[in-house]
Amino acid sequence: METRAGYRVATALEVAARIATLERATLFAGGTDLLPRWSKGVLQRPEVLVDLKRIPELKGVSRNDAEVSIGPCTPLSDLAVDPIIRQTAPVLAEAAGRVACAQVRNRATLGGNLCNASPAADTAVPLILLDATLELTAIGPGGPSVRDVAITDFFTGPGATVLAPGEILTHIRFEPQPPGTFAAWDKFGTRPSMEIAVASVGVALRLEGGTVTWVRVGYGSVAPTPLRGRAAEAVLTGSPLSMEVIERAAAAARAEIAPITDVRASEAYRRDVVGVMLGRMLKHAGHA
Amino acid sequence: MLATLETAKLDLSMNVNGQAVRLWVSPFTTLLEVLREQLELTGTKYACGEGECGACSVLLDGRVVNSCLVLAAECAGCEVVTIEGLTTNGKLHPLQQAFVDHGAVQCGFCTPGMIMAAYALLAANPNPTEADVKRGLEGNLCRCTGYRKIIDAVLSMARGGRSDD
Ligand SMILES: Cc1cc2nc3c(=O)[nH]c(=O)nc-3n(C[C@H](O)[C@H](O)[C@H](O)COP(=O)(O)OP(=O)(O)OC[C@H]3O[C@@H](n4cnc5c(N)ncnc54)[C@H](O)[C@@H]3O)c2cc1C
Ligand code: FES
Ligand code: FES
Repeated sequence: METRAGYRVATALEVAARIATLERATLFAGGTDLLPRWSKGVLQRPEVLVDLKRIPELKGVSRNDAEVSIGPCTPLSDLAVDPIIRQTAPVLAEAAGRVACAQVRNRATLGGNLCNASPAADTAVPLILLDATLELTAIGPGGPSVRDVAITDFFTGPGATVLAPGEILTHIRFEPQPPGTFAAWDKFGTRPSMEIAVASVGVALRLEGGTVTWVRVGYGSVAPTPLRGRAAEAVLTGSPLSMEVIERAAAAARAEIAPITDVRASEAYRRDVVGVMLGRMLKHAGHA
Repeated sequence: MLATLETAKLDLSMNVNGQAVRLWVSPFTTLLEVLREQLELTGTKYACGEGECGACSVLLDGRVVNSCLVLAAECAGCEVVTIEGLTTNGKLHPLQQAFVDHGAVQCGFCTPGMIMAAYALLAANPNPTEADVKRGLEGNLCRCTGYRKIIDAVLSMARGGRSDD
């Protein structure tokens, strides 16, 4: 570890966890959420920062027989083109590649996108579709402790997560979905680039003999947290992708989200857009 | 250039435009501030200061980044290339020349950032389509040109750097 005024670079996880806990340091990854908030004054600059990017085990994508594991400090630009991610989770690659622009994606990390906990975090919905697990590591009096949290239990509100002070997101894991799983994700904004989503929607499903046997639905920017669409899933499970079922699923989606009116769109508009997006994806899944 | 500026607490060594620099920075100083104010490399522009416009684009270890969103302290041991670093012995880089030849510059404020983003785009994809160019420059705003001539300038490089359109 190097000591440089309030800015610390950790090269080992345990050191980072110690600095985070003992010195109440702010965890720092790509800085693309933190820097603008500091300069705008919406967040006070901390006394101590601990930069996680030079900890080798927190970076990169790996896979074994059972699962794919992503280091939280992997930049979104790497994730978007990573061969393992493109093969096992193309919707995650797509979402990562549609965050902001090249300059931001080269810095922004997957871990930062999740821990910042914006309802509009583009990578969250794809990870909901993948039933991803987040590994969180903390240093306690007895040494390091690790716990696993489901992506759907991680977010607790806008900007809020279950992370305890000093706790670090250390891995993002998921099991690749079986061949034949349909998956789609899209975000809607007023222009194609540099756009925080008005709404985002994702769906993953499997069909057997025309009937939906397994399905995940997720929404972004339309609730206090990225949201799993359990009501829409309930409509779809065990049903064919008929027009009638698709319309009922879209209606369930419009009803189960909790959007707000803000500078980007009104509540009513967001409900409409989510229904339309989900409906289109399901029609596509029926023809795929 | 081996500059040592006793201005703050943090000892930073990096390579800027091929030269080793060593200076003192405070922990929250951005790379952009160091480039402009300490190293007097004012080609890199400050506009929004929050990652929205791309005027401050530079290469950091070969990747294009917004230098307003990078702490100088993060750059220890890194290689930074700014617009000044593209020119050799007073001769413009062919990409810079393409911007001149295509009239892709009006007020010029966005130009250094545009060129650095285009440089990174061409390094990764030497033969981009128009759609690739638009995508590669999506983080760079221009309030003057309407983008057409900028896109033409970058596309001219795809055909081997000729600027005869
Ligand atoms: C111009 C611009 C456009 C943007 N557009 C989009 C967009 O279209 N879609 C989108 O989703 N986002 C967008 N963002 C937001 C941002 O780029 C992402 O949220 C980014 O992924 C954050 O990652 P980071 O590494 O930069 O986070 P940082 O700023 O380093 O950290 C963010 C937060 O996460 C915490 N943190 C980081 N890593 C960890 C970890 N491993 N464990 C625990 N806590 C951690 C930090 O303490 C901090 O609270 C945009 C940002 C900018 C500046
Ligand atoms: S000044 Fe850095 S992106 Fe605008
Ligand atoms: S030339 Fe003036 S902003 Fe682009």
